[in-house]
Amino acid sequence: MSAENLKLCSLVVLLAPLAGAILAGAFGQVLRSRTHWPAIFGVGAAFTAAIYILVHVFHAPAGSTGISIPIYDWITDGTGSSFKVEFLIDPLTAVMLVIVTGISLLVVIYSRDYMRDHGHPERGYERFFAFLALFVFAMCALVLCGNFLLLYLGWEAVGLCSYLLIGFYYGRPAAAAAAKKAFLVNRVGDFGFGLGILLIYLSFRTLDYKQVFSFVDQGLLASGEPISPALMTTIALLLLCGACGKSAQLPLHVWLPDAMEGPSPVSALIHAATMVTAGVYMVARCGAIFTASETAMTIVAVIGAVTALFAATIALVQTDMKRILAYSTISQLGYMFLALGVYAADSAIFHLFTHAFFKALLFLGAGSVMHAMGGVIDVRHFSGLRRVLPWTYATFVIGSLALAGFPMFSGFFSKDEIIHHALAAHPVLGGMALLTAALTAFYTFRMVFLAFHGSTRVPEGVHPHESGGWMLASLCVLSIGAVAAGYVGVEATGRAFHHFLSPVFAATFTAAHPTEAAAHATFWSVYGLMIVSGGLSIAAIVAAYFVYVRQPWIPGLVKASAIGVYRLLWGKYHVDELYDLSVVQPARQTGRICVGIDDYFVDGLLWVITAVPQGIAYLLRVMQSGLLQGYALSMVAGIVVLLLLAL
Amino acid sequence: MIWNDWLVALAPEWILLVGACLSLAVGVTRVSKWASPIALATVVAALIVAIRLDVPRNGDVLPGLWLTSLTFYVRWITLGLGSLIVLVNWHQPAANERGEYMSMILFSLLGVLLTASANDLVVLFLAIELVSIPTYVLVALSREDARASEAAVKYFFLGALSAAILAYGISFLYGAAGTTTIHRLVGDTVQSTLRTNGAIGVPMLIGLILVFAGLSFKVAAVPFHAYAADVYEGAASPVTGMLGFVPKLAGFVALCKILTALDWNLPSEVNWMLWIVAAATMTVGNVLALLQKNVKRMLAYSSIAHTGYMLIAVLVGPVAGQGPMRDGVAALLFYIVVYGAMNLGAFALLACFKTNGRDVETLDDLGGLARRAPASALALAICIFSLMGFPPTAGFLGKLYIFSSAFSLQPNHPMHGPLIALAIIGVANTVIGAAYYLRIVAAVYMGGETDTATPVGGRPVRWGLALCSLPLLVLFAWPTGLTTQVRTATTILHHSIRTGSRRVAAAIDSVRTAPTDVAPATVSQAAATYEHHANP
Repeated sequence: MSAENLKLCSLVVLLAPLAGAILAGAFGQVLRSRTHWPAIFGVGAAFTAAIYILVHVFHAPAGSTGISIPIYDWITDGTGSSFKVEFLIDPLTAVMLVIVTGISLLVVIYSRDYMRDHGHPERGYERFFAFLALFVFAMCALVLCGNFLLLYLGWEAVGLCSYLLIGFYYGRPAAAAAAKKAFLVNRVGDFGFGLGILLIYLSFRTLDYKQVFSFVDQGLLASGEPISPALMTTIALLLLCGACGKSAQLPLHVWLPDAMEGPSPVSALIHAATMVTAGVYMVARCGAIFTASETAMTIVAVIGAVTALFAATIALVQTDMKRILAYSTISQLGYMFLALGVYAADSAIFHLFTHAFFKALLFLGAGSVMHAMGGVIDVRHFSGLRRVLPWTYATFVIGSLALAGFPMFSGFFSKDEIIHHALAAHPVLGGMALLTAALTAFYTFRMVFLAFHGSTRVPEGVHPHESGGWMLASLCVLSIGAVAAGYVGVEATGRAFHHFLSPVFAATFTAAHPTEAAAHATFWSVYGLMIVSGGLSIAAIVAAYFVYVRQPWIPGLVKASAIGVYRLLWGKYHVDELYDLSVVQPARQTGRICVGIDDYFVDGLLWVITAVPQGIAYLLRVMQSGLLQGYALSMVAGIVVLLLLAL
Repeated sequence: MIWNDWLVALAPEWILLVGACLSLAVGVTRVSKWASPIALATVVAALIVAIRLDVPRNGDVLPGLWLTSLTFYVRWITLGLGSLIVLVNWHQPAANERGEYMSMILFSLLGVLLTASANDLVVLFLAIELVSIPTYVLVALSREDARASEAAVKYFFLGALSAAILAYGISFLYGAAGTTTIHRLVGDTVQSTLRTNGAIGVPMLIGLILVFAGLSFKVAAVPFHAYAADVYEGAASPVTGMLGFVPKLAGFVALCKILTALDWNLPSEVNWMLWIVAAATMTVGNVLALLQKNVKRMLAYSSIAHTGYMLIAVLVGPVAGQGPMRDGVAALLFYIVVYGAMNLGAFALLACFKTNGRDVETLDDLGGLARRAPASALALAICIFSLMGFPPTAGFLGKLYIFSSAFSLQPNHPMHGPLIALAIIGVANTVIGAAYYLRIVAAVYMGGETDTATPVGGRPVRWGLALCSLPLLVLFAWPTGLTTQVRTATTILHHSIRTGSRRVAAAIDSVRTAPTDVAPATVSQAAATYEHHANP
């Protein structure tokens, strides 16, 4: 495939979803219950093109470092430098594009049934599909782009789509508040991200990925002076700030659980599989910058490990299925950051890849439960659903096994790799990751057993029914992925996934940690950990079975005996309250003071400002007999003044 | 040039002239409502011809008429936006007056085209009056309302006064330079006084200031702005959309021509005068707009404020570099297109609705429009955000270009510091502007429950609105098409008029055709070399 075809394909990836969004938005009133078609076609075309790109990159000659595809110059200044609209296509881009468009396609198909109430489209049906396709466009732009400016645009655009979709049911106060919270928390991260990009521009006088990274490689600023380590660390940490906001890492994780107010397909696509992984993608993409600063890498690893454990403990006691999944997403994203921080970027992307399948599957499964339960998603209100929702149950269990790291499911391989690298780098962080793995298996199956096992019980007035064909089709395809996706990265297939990605990270992550290959030498270093983590996972699942199915009185006892811990976890470590006290309330107070100043001082000043011209006008009017003459006089007076000024 | 060459080179002008006469003729028949389609067809035909026309970009067509790349650029934007003006005015006066009305629009556009090719002060004066006089008629014809007649009378008298001032200034220039040919103004007499002593002859200075004052009326700069609010309020909305663009374009083009003749090397008195006028125009426009409740008055003051922004670009001139980020004239040429579209779009929306049988004028009239007409409200929001200079609209890029060009003068340039100060005043004004622009958006989206606005006007007006607003988004994402044209228009602006011979122009052309990124220094060197050979 020639370069022209590649350009065409990348344009299709980008523009087909946009066209779908515009069609769905503009002709939604006409298409009505068929509005999903533009979105499906748009995203489907993008997926096909993404596959083409993947194949092309796969067959690219060895040693090529990514293909830049300039589209046009956006803004040029007279001195030759310019901001370009430009794509960068390398294995990382190709993999991300396939993940994004593939999961999006399945979610859009799923939504066709989900966004209906007894077969009739819900209110805002066309708005939903327009926003969803717009999101795919923004996310593809974020992934495809070849410079930081477009990255920032894509970054903000996915944030906007996320805001719009979390607040999709804007009539519900909780949804509106959640949308606002997501937007504001992301602003904090994006502020740092924007500053980081600004600092990159000031340091290197360019925003082009390749140029910036080559400057960093040489350790030079645009002026030719060497970069100070402090500057490198500052840039990396500012970028990390953005990544923490978008990927819901500590301390900016608070928005993601609330974001579950959005429709379930949105949670699956944006807040599990794709958008929240943008932070991981960005850190991997900017590997040159991050690996140049040892401090930044350590911080990335610590944030990842702490977030993973922190979120997993909260998930232990939550009862809202989607919130449990949200905390598990935060925890899994923590794994990815941990992997990045210990120089195992390929493992991070591998986990991103497998996680996209099983987490999207779990969210869509939860959506299917919610659909059947008439909008109720709290596991205290139903149980034993495996008899009424057999398909949902089967696929949900597959997803849960993958999430729990059950041997031979996709999550097992990718998570095991991360723990392996973490143990090799920092034994403490590795230990935390191992503990998190056990907790993950436990809380996942706690949720499965509470919701699907035991006696069948549903909320009052609900007639449970299995979901429609469009939804089940998506669930089945995703379950295949949840089982099989891991096998592209195991020793048996020659770690094809990692080899494919290796050119991207060769100069950055891999080069910074060249001893990596030696660690694979012995049997025990490879399989020993697999046996341990697999065993832990099975033990945790069995424990959950024992506690929640066999001896259901135990949780109550534990809760009663450790009520303090329980309350801490139930209250999510009270981070929200902490923010409320330390940030929100002071901001409100400042706002009130500002309103006071505005009302009395600024308005007063404005009154004075406006009174002066009015007064002058009044004076002039008194002096003149008529309006027209006044204007003419003012013109002549103006000329006199100008002449006096000049002469 | 043999005679049919100039016939071809002025083809768009001829087409407009024929179309205007045809429209006038149709006006007296029973099928006078055909005037609108005829006018549209004329403008579109002229536009196509102007784009396809393949004649040298540096040639004196007739004595006093020059075709430069600037001419071509102005032709395209005038005719492009002119077709939108015709669309927005489609239904404007009663059918029996529509023939005259449409022909006036066409004559006014013809005036802009001639302004763009004028190379003689007398031709320039006549062309500018050809722009202005039809607009007086348009204001009067636009609606059956005493306010329209009052506005027309005011506009006419003040316009006549400004024409007198302009003519008076031109006579001073003639007296000082001994010629009315624009590109010879500097070459013959004034250059020595300008360059060697650092001082400028008093007659020349007076002439410049009077010409500037006369043109200031056309572009509505302080202190010649007072008419704008009354006239904009009095005229019907579609005419107002035109008034904000067409005379302003002609005024700025004329200003650029005169300043080009001076080699953009202005005496510091004139620089400071322009500085004060620009600062005052932005500030007065924005502060007075804050007070308005009437949307048309608000937009009138907003158009004054935009004149102030564009004056910054005029003050920068093309000396700092090439391309709209560095070259003030290029930034101006970009901005004025964007301004024309967003301003026309805002007035087009007002033309689309009536409330209780009268035209929509106040913020309350627009209250809750988004509920009834979401598409129109969105189009208005795009135009208003663009006026505000907010991404993702072309207005953002326009302001970015103007302000960044102000920052790009060399530090040793005498106006380096003052221009940075002016750009900062401009940015502060943009913030003030946001206050009243947002009130319009707020009224449309969150405004009162009255919701009395009912749609009037047919499809052409709506098409006009859509074609004004959508390109603002497209232009933000892909400004390259326009910036390339702007670059071409300005590359030889500096030299084509000054170096009077066609052979020199050919020499410049040969430089221009080699690389696109030819530095101004190269062109001027080529011209200088040639001049040296021609006049040893």
